[in-house]
Amino acid sequence: MAKNRQQDRVDRWSKTTTDVLSEFSTSEQGLTNKEAQERLQQYGGNVFARQTFSTLKILYRQLFNPVFVILLASAAVTIIFGEWKQSIAIFVMILLAVVLGFYNEYKAEKTVEKLKQTVALKALVKRDGKLVELVAEEIVPGDIVSFTIGDIIPADMRIFETKDLELNEATLTGESFPVEKTSEPLALTTPTPQQLTNYVFSGTVVAHGSGYGVVVSTGKNTELGNISLDLTRPHPMTEFQKGLNGYGRLLLTLTVFLGIGIFVLNVAVGRSMVDAILFALAVAIGLVPELMPAIVTICVSRGASKMAKKKVIVKRLVSIEDFGNMDVLCTDKTGTLTEGKISLRDYNSISGVDEPRLVDYSLLCNSAAVGDEIAGNPMDVAIWRFAKAKGLEKVIEPYEKLEEIPFDYKRRMLSVVIRKGDEVCFITKGAPESVLKKCTNVDMGKEIIPIDNQLMSINSHINESSTSGYRILAIAYKVIKPQLKYGISDEENLTLLGFLTFTDEPKKDAKDAFQRLKEYNVDVKILTGDNELVARKICEEIGIPVRRVVNGTELGSLGNADAVKAAEEATIFARITPDQKLDIIKLLKSNHHVVGFLGDGVNDAPALFEADVGISVDSGVDVAKEAADIVPLDKDLDVLANGIIEGRKIFANTMKYVLMGTSSNFGNMFSVAVASVFLPFLPMLPIQILFMNILYDTANMTLPTDNVDDEHVKKPMKWDNDFVRKYTIFFGPFSSLYDFLTYGIMLFIFGASPALFQSGWFVESFWTEVLVMWVIRTKRVPFWTSRPGKWVAISTLALVAFGTILPFTILGGALGFVALPAQYWVLLILMVATYLLLVDMGKVFFLKICKYNW
Amino acid sequence: MLPYPDLFVWWAGTITAGILFLSLVSVVLYFLAKKRDRVSQGGILRSLFFDVKRFAFVWVLLTLLVLYIVSIDGQNYTMFAVGNVVIEVFIFSYLVLTRKNYQTYSEA
Repeated sequence: MAKNRQQDRVDRWSKTTTDVLSEFSTSEQGLTNKEAQERLQQYGGNVFARQTFSTLKILYRQLFNPVFVILLASAAVTIIFGEWKQSIAIFVMILLAVVLGFYNEYKAEKTVEKLKQTVALKALVKRDGKLVELVAEEIVPGDIVSFTIGDIIPADMRIFETKDLELNEATLTGESFPVEKTSEPLALTTPTPQQLTNYVFSGTVVAHGSGYGVVVSTGKNTELGNISLDLTRPHPMTEFQKGLNGYGRLLLTLTVFLGIGIFVLNVAVGRSMVDAILFALAVAIGLVPELMPAIVTICVSRGASKMAKKKVIVKRLVSIEDFGNMDVLCTDKTGTLTEGKISLRDYNSISGVDEPRLVDYSLLCNSAAVGDEIAGNPMDVAIWRFAKAKGLEKVIEPYEKLEEIPFDYKRRMLSVVIRKGDEVCFITKGAPESVLKKCTNVDMGKEIIPIDNQLMSINSHINESSTSGYRILAIAYKVIKPQLKYGISDEENLTLLGFLTFTDEPKKDAKDAFQRLKEYNVDVKILTGDNELVARKICEEIGIPVRRVVNGTELGSLGNADAVKAAEEATIFARITPDQKLDIIKLLKSNHHVVGFLGDGVNDAPALFEADVGISVDSGVDVAKEAADIVPLDKDLDVLANGIIEGRKIFANTMKYVLMGTSSNFGNMFSVAVASVFLPFLPMLPIQILFMNILYDTANMTLPTDNVDDEHVKKPMKWDNDFVRKYTIFFGPFSSLYDFLTYGIMLFIFGASPALFQSGWFVESFWTEVLVMWVIRTKRVPFWTSRPGKWVAISTLALVAFGTILPFTILGGALGFVALPAQYWVLLILMVATYLLLVDMGKVFFLKICKYNW
Repeated sequence: MLPYPDLFVWWAGTITAGILFLSLVSVVLYFLAKKRDRVSQGGILRSLFFDVKRFAFVWVLLTLLVLYIVSIDGQNYTMFAVGNVVIEVFIFSYLVLTRKNYQTYSEA
């Protein structure tokens, strides 16, 4: 389980402000510039650790993998023996793979780097007794900072003065509604950030009021910085990368054993050491799918650029495959499934019907600043937004505002006095429990009755709304006689008109987006800091069936086996901390799931980083975007299903390359190795093997553009090295068999010379290796029910044509090939047709009868 | 007379070993699949001989082995060509018939 940050916090919440100020050797007048400079030296700048873009790292990723190690070693050996043609061929392969891989990854990283550039944050700080504007980077512990509505808090601070202060802490805690702050000490032992109401945290936003705070932590020591620090460690390997590494090891083992075996056998039958080494190396290279990194990069880059056109940035290219293979998506609630901003949901009278006067009165009794934009208290802003959307803003025009009694946290109410014609009305809007105390009557629409009879049902309505995650405001009024002056004392004997209900609405496209996820067999889990009822409500609204709910306390008390079971079964994890989000991701990963995480806040960053695929949303904070692999640039949640389809297509096309490489390629190299032992001459010259390899890889370069069958898109797939091994053992011998058959035809029917033998075999080998792509690329009937992509069809045909005429060309002559007799072509066509049909039949046996699937 | 007569035995041996290996792999994979799906494995050897449709693939392999060795040993182009065509027609028919319910399998 993740380390608990709560235990690491220094207790300054229970101390008085005087004690905190003296602990930091500061005063309400702030530090002097000299002191600040000294502290800047001592504590460092107020900046976070961040993962930086590095060209060298990208290059390193391209070069240091088992495939390149084999190729580089082979190139070195060929150079040592002066086999320049061979070494040039190997370097062509290396160059092709490195340049393609580097270019694509560099391009993607550059785009992301631009995305990360943010405007420098500034803050008002007291230095030498005066308020000065400073870049947030220069703030040090002990500084006194002033903040007001709209400000982004630049460091973690203990508040020592507030005026109606409310903070929007959604980015840190996931809570959508503003949190009221105080400067009073708190009697807490190991509080969560949510409980620290006398603190303001770096990255949160002042939603209402103003205040002063003394800086207690800066940079990486803040709550936000602590999370950012976690993101500088190396990214955990994705499931796809693990599969790829396992595959690399499998190939390396095969290559090393086969290479050594061929070398030993060739020396044993009397070939020279140099010939035996060069031949063994050529066969080894033939086995290595050297373009694997390039094919993977092309596949993912193609997917990434397709997604970029849909305004989605894929930051870490390799994650796109896991996006497709993802079978569990964990998602945060606030700002991810919901809009992340408050909106007016209902305006009901006590009898439960729409009461239009509630909207009119709440517009009149409203502190929002209304201009081109609406600013102020989020609930007042929501009322105005609602009125504007419904065209109701003009309803207040006949009214004249005579007086306003401002909101304060003691009363928790705002009152206005308005006049329409001769009638003067006193309206109060505020927290229900405060307003109720001032009411004596209830307006039931047709009649006004004493409140006492209705108190029970009113209180139960308030409780129900609160536990369901709604915020409510009460509106009360009274008709009064005009007075010279109005005051707080007038807030009594009011008539309760009804309640305004506010909520953080689910995103409009959330229902459709999650419905599509269901169609693509992705299980969705909600991980939220909110309570169970709120989470259930959201699930109900967006159509996610709830199987089990686990809350944070319960999760914390479970042993590992039970926690894994809970992670597996539950749909909702309520009241959980950021550390627990991380734990749930780890538990699911340990249970062999490919896990995605969708989140937007600072509190989501560790989970975004740990998940196989971390997806941020458009409104996400920088830290979340930094931690995520996928960053959408607009708020369309359809990105999820689109990304999954793209990822699955990419994975399917990558698997085609792997399966073809390890089956037909392996079969060919195996037969060349066997023949080298029995034949009195080399069955194929090393340069011919390498040349065939380059041609074959060229044909494969179009694979990323191939069509993908529906069944490969409908379900998440996983890299399964056991399946790859079985596939290789089963399909590898097919091409070996037809190679052996070609030996027979060339030797016993045509009595071939070494050059004719090599030419005949080169053409057969090349035809079977390239054309089998049409069969292996699909589970279905090739061409009939599954057509290859246009470029795959064109490139394979073009390369087969090239391979066919090669022995008749000057280049063919230079490579040691000679023209082939006419009868051979007839036999070759028949033989290859049988081969392709037999592979298709084998495919039916393997996939249908034995039910080995991918 | 066959050119390279001394190589014929190893060639015939190699292609025979290849086909037998592939047939054996097919039977083993089938056995493992049954074991994985917890289906009774008792009848595998019996079905190899009597459930021709299921193991048609193995029988085609063995037929091809005979065709290739006999036609090449006799340097008989015609036998090689006709034999290939006959087997192609057989495989094609088999695939058409088998794939009638292929889609059901894909979705499973």
